[in-house]
Amino acid sequence: MTTDMLRKEAARMRSLKDRTAIVGVGATPQGRLPGSTQLSLAVDAFKAALDDAGLDKRDVDGLLTFPGTTAPEGPLNYLRVGEALGIDPAFTGSMSMGGGTAGALVQMAATAVASGQASTVACVFGDAAKTGGSRFSRASGWGDSWGIWGMMGAAANSAVAASRHMALYGTTSAQLAEVAVACRRHASMNPNAVMREPITVADHQASRFIVEPLHLLDCCLISDGGVCVIVTSAERAQDAAQPPVLISGMGQAYTTRTLEREDWWYVPHQKQALDRAYAMAGMGPQDIDVAQLYDNFTISVLLWLEHAGFCAPGESGPFVEGGRIQLGGELPVNTAGGNLSESYMEGWLHIVEGVRQLRGQGGERQVQGAETCLVTGRGMTLNCSNAMVLTKGGVSA
Amino acid sequence: MSDHSKPLPEISDENRPFWEGTRREQLLLQRCARCGHLRYPISHVCPECLEAGHEWVPVSGRGEVYSSIVFHQVYHPAFADDVPYNVSLVQLDEGPRMFSNVVGVPPGQVKVGDRVRVVFDPVNEEVTVPRFTPEHP
Repeated sequence: MTTDMLRKEAARMRSLKDRTAIVGVGATPQGRLPGSTQLSLAVDAFKAALDDAGLDKRDVDGLLTFPGTTAPEGPLNYLRVGEALGIDPAFTGSMSMGGGTAGALVQMAATAVASGQASTVACVFGDAAKTGGSRFSRASGWGDSWGIWGMMGAAANSAVAASRHMALYGTTSAQLAEVAVACRRHASMNPNAVMREPITVADHQASRFIVEPLHLLDCCLISDGGVCVIVTSAERAQDAAQPPVLISGMGQAYTTRTLEREDWWYVPHQKQALDRAYAMAGMGPQDIDVAQLYDNFTISVLLWLEHAGFCAPGESGPFVEGGRIQLGGELPVNTAGGNLSESYMEGWLHIVEGVRQLRGQGGERQVQGAETCLVTGRGMTLNCSNAMVLTKGGVSA
Repeated sequence: MSDHSKPLPEISDENRPFWEGTRREQLLLQRCARCGHLRYPISHVCPECLEAGHEWVPVSGRGEVYSSIVFHQVYHPAFADDVPYNVSLVQLDEGPRMFSNVVGVPPGQVKVGDRVRVVFDPVNEEVTVPRFTPEHP
């Protein structure tokens, strides 16, 4: 993708800037929730988001779902959830992109609303991953499984990225720890977070290895929970119960290849997704007040910081030192605690926190005067990435 | 090691030449009959030009460690006695990359950039798994 092509693409997407808004967000309790199921959590989250938006279920004519890792019906989840909610949508479907799903579904909802295919779309996720037996330990590789060589589990892919980043750029485990420390500090200010006890770099270094170079405290949680995000037109959002949060920029990019692509480990498609979101919004990294960056593992935050242009390639290790990504720092990141400490909702709570920050509902962890938030997601074997620039409604760009 | 309960390749027409090759202690990869692209993972079609025709060609089995990690967590019970074990992404001299294990050295001593060569590990009567070891121990 040349800069010129990206500019032309952005011109087309530019017409969607600020056309749609997130009007409702809902989340269930998080953590270990015995007795819950993917379906019960999805339904509870939907109800919470409706209440938040001040909407009735009859206002919702679009339903997009992510089956997570524990829905027995898999890709037919939209039918199962739809039946439970008793709605007959104009627009529906399910998508499975792991941590890339939340952003992809919200962007699909926004384009459906902007095109007129639906007026109000609920994007719904539930997963009983903690108590329901998740599938996060599976091996990747079509055909001959990488499991033949013991290459399995989600941490391994990020460990590969961390190993190479460390070798090329001198990034250290203590720098990765800065991400875990920041997320935990933020979670300590979030009453809904699962892990709230502050940690230090020394705690991180003393935690056991999972897949070296990643320690336990480099890894996200595994959680039960549900999240719902409701998207409607910016116009309709004016009358909603909550201050509207506009979708100003959207971008996605994927690589279906892994071993065939030499730079796969560095997830360069993330930069394309971000460049698309920035171009649509007419913004750049200098315009971002707060960021919710997908953190399945600490190294992922470092890579996002580089691709998003907050620092140069290879310089994210030093960048995160000195509290720069903590509240009060230059760029607060994952202000609710992220996947690492709030709960592992595969990035769905990153969108919720972005919305809360832009509404000014962050409480103790509110970034004062936040008007723009970057939200990113990434899933599967580093394949699927997306980015959104969310902005506070009623503020001229 | 007939009780090997680790994941094993499911031999099919598509991957049979690869696994027959390793039993003869040869590392064979597919070269596209149309564009010449040497590919891995194994696929029925070239990901560059979509040509199905290909030949299996021997490669040197030499390369360097592109990334190296050490498993401490047991994700599959059959690996319980193996941890900590090394998994490396190996950059073959001929171009393709493959995941494998660097063996013959402590797992944490394997570094990015280390030169390695293939070794063949017969895990049962049917399957010989290619692994790697330092070229100059």
